[in-house]
Amino acid sequence: MADPFKPRAPFAPWDRRQLPGMFDVEETARRVGNYKWAEMKLFEALGGWIATVPELDVKMRLGTHCYHHAWHAELWHKRLPELREMNPDRLTLPANDAMVEFVAALTEPEAPETTIEKLVGVYRVFIPHFISAYTFHMNNTSEITDAPTIRTLKLALQDEFDDWRDGEMMLQSLIETPEEVDRAAAHHAKLEKLMLAAGGIAGPGSIGNLPAVKGN
Amino acid sequence: MRKFFPVDSLARDSRFNQITMSQSQADPRSPLMAADTDKRPKANRLQPSRPDASDAARSLMHGIFVGEIQALEGAGRTCHDFETGTEAPFALKLDMARQAWDEARHVEISVKLSEWMGSEIGQYAENTVLFEAACSTDPVLRLAGVNRALEGLAIDVFTTMKEFGGIAGDPYLEFCEDWMLADEVTHVKMGSDWLRRITENDPDRRKKALEFQSVVDKIFSFGGTRSDSQESPIGLARRFRELAGFTDAEVEDIADVSLRALEERKEFTRQAQADAVEQFAAS
Repeated sequence: MADPFKPRAPFAPWDRRQLPGMFDVEETARRVGNYKWAEMKLFEALGGWIATVPELDVKMRLGTHCYHHAWHAELWHKRLPELREMNPDRLTLPANDAMVEFVAALTEPEAPETTIEKLVGVYRVFIPHFISAYTFHMNNTSEITDAPTIRTLKLALQDEFDDWRDGEMMLQSLIETPEEVDRAAAHHAKLEKLMLAAGGIAGPGSIGNLPAVKGN
Repeated sequence: MRKFFPVDSLARDSRFNQITMSQSQADPRSPLMAADTDKRPKANRLQPSRPDASDAARSLMHGIFVGEIQALEGAGRTCHDFETGTEAPFALKLDMARQAWDEARHVEISVKLSEWMGSEIGQYAENTVLFEAACSTDPVLRLAGVNRALEGLAIDVFTTMKEFGGIAGDPYLEFCEDWMLADEVTHVKMGSDWLRRITENDPDRRKKALEFQSVVDKIFSFGGTRSDSQESPIGLARRFRELAGFTDAEVEDIADVSLRALEERKEFTRQAQADAVEQFAAS
């Protein structure tokens, strides 16, 4: 048996985690507040749409995905006080006015004939932007000081990937004509332009190009 | 997308046929509408020994299926219809999102059970009265109507179906109903907890909510379909209601309301039959 009192390195040879990270506590809290706001808007939209879609399989998936995003919002809500924001509502904000405009356009379709538009907004625009913002954050924050955020990002990303795949498969099965391809593409372009103006889920710098880099 | 979605706009595919509560109650195939003769069984409780047990169970399962769809839609609408913080607490909306997921699973389960029992989607009409309880503009009334009254009824229905599955020797049915029953107890408890928490310092709002629940309970007693009486197809699941946060007095109130609904329905039926005889004689 190995000597239990023999000194060992605090970081094992296979543990390559690094201390430096791109975000300080304040910047992390700001991003987390943006994530929570966006996840809330997404779960509210999915919940509202359930009654408006006639396709039974889509109806059920929206109910399931509604909870996934509510749970992400809850995880971010719980993370905020750990980032020195004792009033989580204060930072539960959209990244900017363009993001508010994006959500308004996303949730505009209501008629039962517009399931394609509803799904395009969520699964071809909103969720891919969550995936990119979360991935950038996970890969650039401190692996040691910000481990709790990384854990939440990993849990959320697993759902985002699964939901994106579900949504994309539903869309591919609903789009049956060249005209419907055009409809989907037109709505996609409209929403993507609004998201471009917003700069992503957490505003400009959601996936890099931050104006100021701290902690490196 | 608008706030507050009207019941007549619920989106369905071409297989579904929607009817109102009064149309449903006037259905002559209902056992409660049968003529009061010596040949008529005095017990309507859903049991395998009933001659029409198979079709009654299939009909009830289809009713569960469409009820779960409406419960899914109602929970989803509560996530959307109210502003977080000013109109509904964040945690309440999280609970409603969780309920939406649970109801989505219940739709999946009931679709598979319906298939197992030999029926098809749309074989029976869809009564949309369940979603109407989810249309209140006050989230507390919605919780009272949907989570306490409607989901409370679901506890009674699932208990009856679980017992039916057990007696009929159908472990598949019994297994699924047991799982759905666990979720429904959670949903009713959610409603009980939120009702008490939100109206803690607002006795008028609590009174209004409980009155609304009582009205919905009476409607959802389906004119006597659910009560302690053996004449009702569905029994009152007292033990599971206790687990879900109902007090003894509240369970007694529901039992009284249900029995009154049964008596009113029987009186209505007697009157309708007397009128029909009179009209036939006059013609």
